[in-house]
Amino acid sequence: MTAAPDILAEAILISQGAEAAIYQAILHQSPSSEATPVFLKYRFNKQYRHPTLDASLTRSRIAGEARAVLKCLRNGVHVPGIRLVDASQGILGFEWIEGKSIRMLLGGGAEGEEETEYTADLLEDEDAVDSPEDELQSLYGLTPDVLMAMIGTEIGKMHLADVIHGDLTTSNMMLRRMFSTASSSTVELVLVDFGLAYTSTLVEDKAVDLYVLERAFASTHPDSEPLFATVLQAYGKTMGKEWANINRRLDDVRLRGRKRSMVG
Amino acid sequence: MEVVSYPHLPAELSRAYIALYTSVTNAGALRKRIINAASMQGREGEDEREAVNYAFVDPRLITSPLHVKTAVLQAVMAQAQGALRTKTVHSEVLWALNPSNNISEAIRRYGVSEACTALLVVRVDGSALEPADVERKMGAAVQGQLVPLTQLGRLTDWVAVKKCHKLNNELALKVCGQDGERERAVIDNIVVSSVAMKSVMG
Repeated sequence: MTAAPDILAEAILISQGAEAAIYQAILHQSPSSEATPVFLKYRFNKQYRHPTLDASLTRSRIAGEARAVLKCLRNGVHVPGIRLVDASQGILGFEWIEGKSIRMLLGGGAEGEEETEYTADLLEDEDAVDSPEDELQSLYGLTPDVLMAMIGTEIGKMHLADVIHGDLTTSNMMLRRMFSTASSSTVELVLVDFGLAYTSTLVEDKAVDLYVLERAFASTHPDSEPLFATVLQAYGKTMGKEWANINRRLDDVRLRGRKRSMVG
Repeated sequence: MEVVSYPHLPAELSRAYIALYTSVTNAGALRKRIINAASMQGREGEDEREAVNYAFVDPRLITSPLHVKTAVLQAVMAQAQGALRTKTVHSEVLWALNPSNNISEAIRRYGVSEACTALLVVRVDGSALEPADVERKMGAAVQGQLVPLTQLGRLTDWVAVKKCHKLNNELALKVCGQDGERERAVIDNIVVSSVAMKSVMG
């Protein structure tokens, strides 16, 4: 295994997946200015692939992710800004988003939590903390309905820019509070992880993108499922006249599933 | 002046000195000096090249300290990997700032020109120089007043930045409406992101 890039030596590992590991790090260390952290996504070498193929896949995925994010930025979709790209080492750096994922806020639990076994003690502790919905209300002042509308609007803006996310789940959305002035603050829904994103104008691709989110909703937040209608309503409003076609196609997709052809 | 360190990079690239000068009076002469230094022979030439061995950036097109720092970081990383697209790490800073791949355009747009009355001076150097020492050497090249880097925002020509990055028709700016502060934050984020991802722009 090749050694991890030096830039990660001082970084804090946050999480590790099959494709990449994520870190928090400081890019510009300077005694005279305040250090702001960045979010690093390290697509490590895959030992199971031929090194040449591995290098070119990593490179093209990083380029793809960065381009999709920039396109979103230019079209006013709330996404984290890019802070560093090192395609040869497989590192992508983003603006640090301070906040929580929608999955947590809707009570879907942390990813991978399903495997954790709870002891009775832990369960008691759980009761002591606010329920996620209270947190949504107290921390961000949002009702679930408003949140769903924000999700729909943001996805609509992204699809208007012809960017298809490819992995829409509630874990890939975050809420952050923006302080415009000292007294007032607004809450922003931020879409993250464009690792599977691509550009497409096809109604089919947009409908499938929504369908993936609908399924993710049904499995992680079974009790919030009716709320999904609000997401679609806000989405339709943002998309304008394109919505009728996408809605029709979404019905088709629901009947047949994500894959159009059943061959193979 | 601000000293930024990159502990993960090889020693000779591990530090960058960034200084901002206003009321600059010798921009035109400085430009000529840089061009002449390139073709000078012998020992004298080496000394002259060392005297102007900085990246001189026109701050009018720079939106924030993070903007220039991002360009410097991409340049030192390219140098560390032997992937410079221009001849030196300092010209690479200018190249990283420009949205297109044209090197002479980058230098014309972002480099020092006769009309500059403020200059951003960048030096990449690993040897643990005293900041005061670097400041003295920079001061020998630039006639102007050293001010904190945080003053950058006041010197930005936002109209020129928008034109340079072709942002005028972008949706992200239209939704800002009359909110100038918000618009500037949005522009800064787009511009910083473009600089950071320049190497995979194509």
